[in-house]
Amino acid sequence: MRFSFWEITPLALFIIFIAPVAIVLFSLTGDYSDNWSHLYQYVLTRYILNTAYLVAGVSILVTVVGVGTAWLVTNYNFTGKNIFEWALILPLAVPPYILAYTFTGLFDTFGTANNLIRDVFDLGREFTFFPKVRNVPGAIVVFSFTLYPYVYLVSRMAFINQSRTMLEAGRTLGLNKFQTFYKLGVPMIRPAIIGGLMLVVMETISDFGAVDHFAISTFTTGVFRTWYGMYDIETAKQLASLLLIFAVTLILIERYSRRNASYSNAMSLYKPLYLTKLKGIPNTLAFLICFTPIFIGFLLPVMELLYWALNYKLDFFNDKFITTAWNTFYLALIAAFLCSLLAVIINFSIRYKSNNYLKVMSSFLTVGYAVPGLILAIGVMQMLTYFDQSFVSEFSNFVLTGSIIGLVLAYVIKSYALSSSTIEAGYQRINSRVDDVARTLKTSGWALLAQVHLPLLKTSFLTSMLLVVSEVIKELPATLILRPFNFDTLAVYTYIYAAEERMYDAAAPSIAIVMVGLIPIIILTRMIRTSRPASRY
Amino acid sequence: MTALEIKDLSHYYVKGKNVLNDVSLELDKGEILSILGPSGCGKTTLLRIIAGLEKETSGSVHMNDQIISDHYHTVLTENRNIGLVVQERALFPHLTIISNVMFGVSGSKTERYSTAMRLLKLFRVDRYAYNYPNEISSGEQQRVAIARAMAPNPKILLMDEPFGTLDQSLTNQLRVETRKILKDNNITAIIVSHDFDDALSMSDKVIVIEDGTVIQSGSAKDITHLSREKSVKFSSIKANT
Repeated sequence: MRFSFWEITPLALFIIFIAPVAIVLFSLTGDYSDNWSHLYQYVLTRYILNTAYLVAGVSILVTVVGVGTAWLVTNYNFTGKNIFEWALILPLAVPPYILAYTFTGLFDTFGTANNLIRDVFDLGREFTFFPKVRNVPGAIVVFSFTLYPYVYLVSRMAFINQSRTMLEAGRTLGLNKFQTFYKLGVPMIRPAIIGGLMLVVMETISDFGAVDHFAISTFTTGVFRTWYGMYDIETAKQLASLLLIFAVTLILIERYSRRNASYSNAMSLYKPLYLTKLKGIPNTLAFLICFTPIFIGFLLPVMELLYWALNYKLDFFNDKFITTAWNTFYLALIAAFLCSLLAVIINFSIRYKSNNYLKVMSSFLTVGYAVPGLILAIGVMQMLTYFDQSFVSEFSNFVLTGSIIGLVLAYVIKSYALSSSTIEAGYQRINSRVDDVARTLKTSGWALLAQVHLPLLKTSFLTSMLLVVSEVIKELPATLILRPFNFDTLAVYTYIYAAEERMYDAAAPSIAIVMVGLIPIIILTRMIRTSRPASRY
Repeated sequence: MTALEIKDLSHYYVKGKNVLNDVSLELDKGEILSILGPSGCGKTTLLRIIAGLEKETSGSVHMNDQIISDHYHTVLTENRNIGLVVQERALFPHLTIISNVMFGVSGSKTERYSTAMRLLKLFRVDRYAYNYPNEISSGEQQRVAIARAMAPNPKILLMDEPFGTLDQSLTNQLRVETRKILKDNNITAIIVSHDFDDALSMSDKVIVIEDGTVIQSGSAKDITHLSREKSVKFSSIKANT
């Protein structure tokens, strides 16, 4: 049996994408060093407990904020409602580690907020108004107000698709407005909420920058310390494997919940919701409820960063910044182009060959999105070291390890899911009969892809590139581990300055990251506007 | 010479549930055949097998006395020299009308252009040559789709419900025009339809398929006569029109 390029490529990619993860997991079958007894005796419980506290706290807060705001903007008309609809997604542009840095600068004993209170009320230096933020509750707030948009987005889409008749039936059965919300509205979209929540939890357990800055011991900081502090890569991998198993469990829950997510919008008798006009105190309350998360998650950090950048660091636009920004952008562009191209090739293969094995292969390729960057970086580094030692060492030392190849590979594996879903959506808009006709006109394989599909996928391809660029620019742990010597990106630049408590220096790269992070949000907002069934509402 | 011959062709997607059962037919050069039958009877599958877009489970397909598909041989779609017109028209939205028609034509740019322009004139849509598909009406799009399929000078033109989405007066007009062009150019064609009138007004031969089996075949006149005489299952077809 002969295999064509369209069948071999997905298989080759599958091996490359799965190998780093498999390398990490394979460590569980190896020897366990003495460091495990140290970990077990002193820190493992703390890693588990802190991670559990974070997950629990963040889950509760994002559910309250995400679902509550989504319900308000979908069912009520109040001051600023039209702006809140899209502005509630803005905090997605701020990575948790940047909010953590700005929180420290704002709320530390001598941070901007405490200084302001002291100045306004003429209080002594020993007076501290705001509580300390470098602890688990502080981290819960940081994660919740940067990640709640995941829950907000899915809840809003699900609420929009809810039929008025069902909620009205609830009212006639004696439920008041609040009871309609928590006894009917929320339970009906539960699968969607769980799906969004799992994404939040995945991001929380994967984070390194914020918890490291707050000096909270979690699994990710533990893996980092075991590797760089104890110089024990095997134990670090074994620790990472536990985190990976947890992440995979979350993916399975997310996929399972997404499978059932359509029951709320499968109603044949769909009737769009009527908006209730709020006045007086309810109007003010609704405004405040929606404004607060945007203020904490987006406006506050952006204002603080701009204040630092403009007041204390006017020379931020220096050579170092330009070099770092250039490094970041060209790296992000390479990764984005490769990701989008691979997504086109894989999705084309599935369509062209209509082969079930290719579909299964493709779904495995998207798993990288859920693998924490730190784990991916360890796996990629081990894989490249193996290649260097096995094949390249004859000619030179460590050609692949420590080069940007590893970095690009990790970015591609991590961001492939974004590209794939975008290109897949683009393909769904191309009628399959176009392919049939093109084939009868002697156009197949590469010609079909280049002459027919690519021109039609132009927008999807660009969208995919933008999404990956913004994802790559924010990525921190994998970049910290895999970057070549003396090679900084904006995220690393921010991390290093923040670690040295040089917040003013960290401001400019942070602003650049937030600005780029706004791109997918604009795209997302446009997509939601054009996709919803009750768009006029 | 026989332009197309299908021998004992059967096909299934799920084993035990045949979509086509032992279908056989013959078509001479320049003849127009209509395949009639209700939705889901297997007629589109038969067309896709002739085009090479599906591989038959058993049986064989011959063109100009050469095997193009059987258990041992498969000539790829792109090498069969077959034209395809589908109900959705499937014009390439990113190309102008003239580029759509030039798409499958080989030769120098001037030759390709003159071939495409000749066909656009034939179908009276040459004034839209530099428009995009979304800028013309559905009837004009259908004319362009037929012109595009004819442009590479195919051995056989396959048309799957070609007038399915058009209104009645436009359908009547296009049937007459299309038959005249096909006959004038001596093009062998197969039209798949569930519309009895398509078969009567356009074709020389008709076969009727029900549940994947050919239940009638003959000239358009024979079929009309038979259906009138014996009332054989045409009611089911008529009900679908």
